[in-house]
Amino acid sequence: MNLWNWFRSRLAGFRKRQGREKELDREMESHLGLEVEEQLESGLSPEEARYAARRAFGNIRLVREDVHAIWGAVWLERLAGHARYAARSLLKNPGFTVIAVLTLALGIGANTAIFSTIDALMLQPLPFSEPDQLLRIYSTKDGTRVGGINSAGGPSPMDVRDFAESSHSFQKMVVYDTWRKNVSFGSSAGEPEQMRVGLVPAAYFEVLDIQPVMGRLFTQDENQVGKNFVAAISARLWKDRFASDSAILGREIRINDEPYTIVAVMPDSIPEWMEPWRPGLIEVWTPFAFADVWSESSRGSRGYCALARMKPGVSLEEAQAELRTIAAALATTHPVDQGIGVMVRRVSDTRVGELRPMLTLLMGAVSLILLIACVNLANLVMARNSARQRELAVRAALGAGRSELIRQLLAETLLLSLMGGAVGLTLAQIGLAGLARMHPGDLPQLDSIGIDWRVLAFTLLVSLATSLLFGVAPALTGTRLNLVDALKQGGRSGSSGRPTQRLRNALVVTELAMSLMLLVGATLLTRSIIELGRQHLGIRQDHLLKGHIYIPGVRYPNPGAITRFCDAFRTRVRAVPGVIEATVTTVYPPHGGWTQMLNIPGHPFARIQDIPSAQFGVADAHLLETLGIPLLERRDFAESDSATSPPVALISEEFKRRYFPTEDPVGRQIHIGPPPFLQIPPGADITDFADVTVIGVAGDFRNAGLALPPEPQITVLYSQHPLVNYGFKDIVIRTASEPRLLVPEIRRQLHDLDPDMPFAEVQTMDEVVEAETGGQRFTTVLLASFAAAGLVLAAVGIYGVVSFLVAQRKQELAVRIAMGANRVNVVWLVLKQGLETAALGAAIGLFGAWTAQKLVKGLLFGISPVDRLTFLGAAAFLLTVAAIASAIPGVRVLKIDPAQTLRQD
Amino acid sequence: MATVMTLHKSPHRTELLQGTLDMLILRTLLFGPAHGHQIAKHIQRTTEDVLQVEHGSLYPALHRMERKGWIISKWETPKDRNREFKYYRLTPPGRKQLASEESRWKRLTAAVATLMWPAPGDPS
Repeated sequence: MNLWNWFRSRLAGFRKRQGREKELDREMESHLGLEVEEQLESGLSPEEARYAARRAFGNIRLVREDVHAIWGAVWLERLAGHARYAARSLLKNPGFTVIAVLTLALGIGANTAIFSTIDALMLQPLPFSEPDQLLRIYSTKDGTRVGGINSAGGPSPMDVRDFAESSHSFQKMVVYDTWRKNVSFGSSAGEPEQMRVGLVPAAYFEVLDIQPVMGRLFTQDENQVGKNFVAAISARLWKDRFASDSAILGREIRINDEPYTIVAVMPDSIPEWMEPWRPGLIEVWTPFAFADVWSESSRGSRGYCALARMKPGVSLEEAQAELRTIAAALATTHPVDQGIGVMVRRVSDTRVGELRPMLTLLMGAVSLILLIACVNLANLVMARNSARQRELAVRAALGAGRSELIRQLLAETLLLSLMGGAVGLTLAQIGLAGLARMHPGDLPQLDSIGIDWRVLAFTLLVSLATSLLFGVAPALTGTRLNLVDALKQGGRSGSSGRPTQRLRNALVVTELAMSLMLLVGATLLTRSIIELGRQHLGIRQDHLLKGHIYIPGVRYPNPGAITRFCDAFRTRVRAVPGVIEATVTTVYPPHGGWTQMLNIPGHPFARIQDIPSAQFGVADAHLLETLGIPLLERRDFAESDSATSPPVALISEEFKRRYFPTEDPVGRQIHIGPPPFLQIPPGADITDFADVTVIGVAGDFRNAGLALPPEPQITVLYSQHPLVNYGFKDIVIRTASEPRLLVPEIRRQLHDLDPDMPFAEVQTMDEVVEAETGGQRFTTVLLASFAAAGLVLAAVGIYGVVSFLVAQRKQELAVRIAMGANRVNVVWLVLKQGLETAALGAAIGLFGAWTAQKLVKGLLFGISPVDRLTFLGAAAFLLTVAAIASAIPGVRVLKIDPAQTLRQD
Repeated sequence: MATVMTLHKSPHRTELLQGTLDMLILRTLLFGPAHGHQIAKHIQRTTEDVLQVEHGSLYPALHRMERKGWIISKWETPKDRNREFKYYRLTPPGRKQLASEESRWKRLTAAVATLMWPAPGDPS
């Protein structure tokens, strides 16, 4: 190939450079020799002759330096000349230049932004030693992870203990938990705040292979209740709160109003995505001390966090297989483990959580954009350079060497690529800032992502290679083969052989197909988001504010105290101007509490799987009114339902439909807890606690996540059920105006009531819902912008092909017009070609979108991945855009002046 | 750049423009290929030794013009010798350059001439 030859000659030239010096010396010596000869002939002595020759020649060293300067200067001069010429020739054709630069910039910018993100999120090595050995263990029920996305999803401590005892694939395994607690660092170190505290045995740090910066790990002894009042803090906390005080060990912090002694400072190496379900840095750890987790009765309580480190040389599959075998054995010996499986993931694969499939989709989409951009660029450069073949041929005929022409085209391509790269870099920076601002909720690491220069360099190289391959190379074959032909044919405005044109058409078809795939994907996701947004939560979502409080057991030692505090807080909030109603509850959409087994008299069941269950939560008497859930039958909770009156419950419509399809549920008794034959040792299971009477039926609300239909719901009063009256409570407030404005006043009320209690996790209900769909919206916005970019590029592509067609067939068209053809028919002739290309592209694109349905399927809600309306609509839209893009140059046919056109050239 | 041509053995050492030396070299090559020594001698002889080129100053000029594509070079052995010399010859762009240098020179000398010796009847 020409480029190769050129490259080889360059290389040879480089080697010759040293030879050139010798050559210059030889040239000057031969000159001096001749001069000496001549002087000898004129009768001088040899010595005089040599002297005369030298004098006539001048200073040899100076001459040598001058020549060197010329070699360098000429090279620079040429480079500058090429750059100037390239800039001029690009300026002469601003349309081409702008489109090419934007095309490049879109491809480079989008890819740099997305791949920088993906690299930072998914590909960077973990900050742990031998990170590939680290696994997270999940429990599954009937094949899906327990607890859904709102739980750590791990096995129970008893299961983990048995896994560790009977397996051989692991060095170490650990089960732990994280809790929200109120932490205060003493009067000197600031206000108390709600923090997520890691409840971890020493094995947690051992599995991760992290040593304390100072101090020691927890001892086995400290995992017992009562001996657990020791804490480890992060180095960051040590610095921020204690000014890196070297006497930190032995200092005290208060967690939920209990004193803990600091025994260790841990390095800041645990990333914020580390803990599942709720990302964020954990900066305080205390031992994993629970009275009841290590007893047989707790085997069924899943949802803890579990980590393991494999032995060297053990594969993920082997580890998974071994745990499966153990889990299957446990299921046969323990009834509560029936149907429970186990699943492991590399910790490195858990870091983007639920966003992983979306990021994969985006990665595919953005690669398509780069492909489309390259196709476009190839087309543009090809069209331009083949239209310029005549110019190139003329310049060649005038004596410009081939290498000169190659250099010229190279200079242009490089200049274009540099401009595209510069604009693309700007786009990427804007894009990254935008990504960080969109902040899909569960990716805190997004904030710190910068441009990945390797990605930028890679995309720049790809586009450079494209324009060289498709633009410069064919143009050069032209200059070598048909110097004369090109001049002759050039008379008939430019030449490009049939194969070139066919290649160009194929490229545009490809690009149309790819942009249609993007369009279909984006439309599907958008419609899915709209569908999700349209989901009626079952409440009045507007003007609702929620916040979390933790009522510490130290100062509120019994359920009565907790109830009194909640009532007092609600009453104070209720009295704040602008508050319409307020409720203290654990129940609000899109979650309805926890799944609770029930015992409904008159509902026999044969298998464990058939035990009735429902979403279960506690609230005060103002739940329905505050949230705006309609009461469908009988009565709501009332203030008169007190600790001393008979326990009552509200059920949902779905509950009635499933468990009382034919009878009136009101007045029926329900036992909250598993049926008698599952009875666990007495006193151990706090969820087996009471009989309640149904007093009314309320409307359904989304209690199992936004995307799932409502599950049966049963709600009771915490004032009537001390056993489930925990210190964790949320308050939901209905306001008359913008809810956020009331936050300071509500904080003040809480502070007045208990100055040491933080008001945490404050969100409006709209924000709660938004956070649930954050990842979806993130993907949708990105995919939609890619689809838009793809569409623009495809439109440019087809515009290019048709305008080229018009330019090339101008003579023929002029003849047709001169012979009396109807101009509209002539325009149609051109348009038709554009539309045919577009139709072919659309057909292939539809097929592609159909085959790609698996990719988007999991991300869609309420819409089929092969939704007919979307497919046809997107195709129609693409064809319309293509028609407009071809019509613009097509209309130029109308302006052809046959007389003038035929006289041309 | 030190590519100057000097008038030796003359009370007035005059520096000529770079373009002028180029023009003289190109003009010399119009008669056929020549090596550096021949070019120097030719310029010297044909101007009857008025213009004495400092031989060394030819080489930067030759190399520059070769880079610009006005001349090309090749090592050849002349029939009457057994040694190789580097011969320069004119290219089409070189001819074009010579033509434009010539016309420029003509305009310049004509202008100088009219200034120095105004034609009779000229109002100045």
